[in-house]
Amino acid sequence: MPTWEEKLADRLEPQLAAEIDKFETEITLRKQGKLDEKVFAETRLRRGCYGQRYDNGHRHDGIRTQELQYNSDLTKGPDTLWDAPGMQRIKIPFGGLNPDQMDVLADLAEEYADGVLHVTTRQDFQYHFVHIDDTPAIMRRLAAVGITTREACGNSIRNVTACPLAGVCNTETFDVIPYARATAKFMLGHPDAQGFGRKFKIAFSGCRQEACGLVNMHDMGAIAVTRVENGKVRRGFEVYVGGGLGAVPHNAKLFEEFLPEEELLPTTQAISRVFARLGEKKQRDRARIKFLIAKLGVEEFKKLVLEERQTLQADPRWTDYLEDAEQYAEKPLKPPTFLNGQKRPEGFDAWYATNVYRQKQAGYVVASITLPLGDLSSWQMRELSTLARRFSGDSVRTTVEQNMVLRWVSENDLPDLYRELTRIGLGAPGAGTIVDVTACPGTDTCKLGISSSRGLAGELRTRLAAKAYTLDEAVKNLRIKISGCFNSCGQHHIADLGFYGMSINVGNRKVPHFQVVLGGKWQDNAGAYGLPLVRVPSKRIPEVIDRVTNRYVGERTANESFQDFLKRVGKKDLRAMLEDLTRIPPYEVDPSFYSDWGDPREYTIGDMGVGECAGEVVSVSQFALAAADGLVFQAQLHLEAGDYASADQNAYKGMLQAALSLVRAQWPEAPDEADSTIHEFRQRFFETNIWGDRYAGNKFAQYLFIRHASPPANHSGDHAHRVVEEAQLFVDAVYRGHEILAERSAR
Amino acid sequence: MELSRFGLKLFATDPAAMQAKNFVPIFHSWIQKQAVEKHQLIDVHDYSHIHHGPGILLVGHEGNFSTEMGEGLPGLVYFRKQPAGTFEETVRASVKAILQAATLIEAEPGLEGQIRLRRDEFLFISNDRLLAPNNAASFEAIRPTLGKVFGASASLTPVRIATRDRLTIRISGVAF
Repeated sequence: MPTWEEKLADRLEPQLAAEIDKFETEITLRKQGKLDEKVFAETRLRRGCYGQRYDNGHRHDGIRTQELQYNSDLTKGPDTLWDAPGMQRIKIPFGGLNPDQMDVLADLAEEYADGVLHVTTRQDFQYHFVHIDDTPAIMRRLAAVGITTREACGNSIRNVTACPLAGVCNTETFDVIPYARATAKFMLGHPDAQGFGRKFKIAFSGCRQEACGLVNMHDMGAIAVTRVENGKVRRGFEVYVGGGLGAVPHNAKLFEEFLPEEELLPTTQAISRVFARLGEKKQRDRARIKFLIAKLGVEEFKKLVLEERQTLQADPRWTDYLEDAEQYAEKPLKPPTFLNGQKRPEGFDAWYATNVYRQKQAGYVVASITLPLGDLSSWQMRELSTLARRFSGDSVRTTVEQNMVLRWVSENDLPDLYRELTRIGLGAPGAGTIVDVTACPGTDTCKLGISSSRGLAGELRTRLAAKAYTLDEAVKNLRIKISGCFNSCGQHHIADLGFYGMSINVGNRKVPHFQVVLGGKWQDNAGAYGLPLVRVPSKRIPEVIDRVTNRYVGERTANESFQDFLKRVGKKDLRAMLEDLTRIPPYEVDPSFYSDWGDPREYTIGDMGVGECAGEVVSVSQFALAAADGLVFQAQLHLEAGDYASADQNAYKGMLQAALSLVRAQWPEAPDEADSTIHEFRQRFFETNIWGDRYAGNKFAQYLFIRHASPPANHSGDHAHRVVEEAQLFVDAVYRGHEILAERSAR
Repeated sequence: MELSRFGLKLFATDPAAMQAKNFVPIFHSWIQKQAVEKHQLIDVHDYSHIHHGPGILLVGHEGNFSTEMGEGLPGLVYFRKQPAGTFEETVRASVKAILQAATLIEAEPGLEGQIRLRRDEFLFISNDRLLAPNNAASFEAIRPTLGKVFGASASLTPVRIATRDRLTIRISGVAF
């Protein structure tokens, strides 16, 4: 039988071909039992091959947990069956694509996945339901058009992202693409980037004030700046380090105001070395570089990096690309034109208003293609590649808002382009508006998903699109971002209206919920993070949106931003406004609350029962947890008021109360005393692993232990913000802890 | 020809009756009952928001079922992913699977008999651009096996030859 390896032999770069051959050998070795499952798991992750929900061979079908029957017991990692479908992530540096690559991406989705391409919040593509045996063929076919999946996952440097408008943006300092490309290429497989304890994400932005690069939420971010020296303009970067979302978001710290362009790659290399050497390795939840920088302080971290920089052996690749970088410019496919009054198709004006950006090069525009939930079919992708060849050439990009853009479209082509996009189902308006909801995969495919982020996103999109034309302008421009759990893949922290999934026990059933996170800032490179407000059942989130936005429209002062409005109204008032939405009708009255959006299965584990005794304990615990909730909410109010010491104290007390609620579930007379609570909690729940989340482990307990052991000497906004976030997550986790206790009791 | 990745499609007699969203609970119930023989059914996905996509997708280990709405001709599609022996055996297994699925849909109480799927016409879609690219040679290589499986009365016509789409063959006059 012919193979892709033979067919593409002369089209693959030797190094890429050798890497894929090696991976295929590792697959064979694993099948023969000659490679440990943990080693293979990290190997495949570094090739972008992720696990997917239910790959442990179990799935609850709404009535019972089924054991999925595959042909073999072979595993591709701990508790991960070989034959179970997985996810393949594909790195697209700075989101840059050409039509040939688009065709191959379309073909592969059809042949090896489910015929759908999913754009991620970091400009990657993902395929779902892929068999691990097919991955070498996928990799070879991608490599033949210059795409790699290497280091798309695992503890490595992930896709290097950049503003999709780079090079055509009206406010950029200069085009960052040559630098993003050089960084991605230089650091791919670099020996100094192989020893990380966790992933490392890099982003580039052409200017400070826009959102596109989201520099502030990255492990390393670079904003283009220039400086005049000796009468000559020098290019460089304002570099930030230690940002990140995850469960607890960290603002990036300024590392260097002006890093000359020739220092970009060696400094990245030096940062990688320091991270690899000093970053946490054992405790995964403290292993991102943000924790190292928080521990060392950015000045000490910088000192170590600069010392490391001095030890590096000069590498010609550091500067080889710079001459071309200065000259780099994309060639438009067609001459510039302007809309000349020709008849516009129906719907064109609305689409033009939201989906077209006029480039700094007169006569050219960027056309955004709004992808619902970041998805497009193979057929659409192929049609889109045809349109790219006709209208824009090689200059296609994916975006962190899970859309795609065609750049360098000659403006007078827009009506034709719009007609064609409409024909293939990609002509929807609303790019970058409230309708354009971002969501991670959530419970659809992610192993960590708690609530259906895509289900909710789809529902909101449908509802908002139906009334898009009547929405107030101020509301239209808000952004909604949804994560299926606290891990922030949907970037809920930087949305005006953010949500992350959680579950709450009601009686002996579970109800999908979302934590409402308001006031994040998308602009200014993810300039501020929102804070949790209240947990609301999934089915009532649309009402949350309605109430918050209606109030904003009704009460905002002239030109008042959403963030300023929230500050003025205050969390207390906002929470009171939503309080009634937290109430859940009994199952017998309205069972719809007990299933998630787009999934008719009952969310609860139907065969679970709760004894009388456990029922009482849960009831007492809920009372104690309510007190913990109150303290954490008070902490948020103090934080909002700038009283960081009180914010810290309340957050800490909230964690203690939550921990005590669990302790009292086993020892109802336990004293309300900090050391005793910590001791009992540690002994009963932490050391026994009773409480540990299956995937997050005991990470949330560490928030309490660390805060208890090391109260802050000085109070800063940054620190208080972090402790408040941690307290919220801890309390959420204690809710899950009570569920575990209830389940154990039922058994 | 050892092709094991291919699709089969059955067309709905009344296109308007194929309402995608109706299939979400139906496919979930199939998983509860593991209703399709020799298939490990795994999960359901709603892709009804995507134009020309899989609609509602029922993922199985051996093959996927979906309610494709493409080209104005809605129907039930089955894409085989794992071999069931030789090419001929895999085609036979796939025909059996899609016919069983069609029967289940037509008998689905929630649909009240509104959906009927034609059995006299199939689409065969090669889903392997290496073994069976979209050209006349592939059609000729596949034709004998399809002829054997679908019977002497069946007429095989290639559609969309030599485009970027997959090799697709219309099989009409089928009399199972």
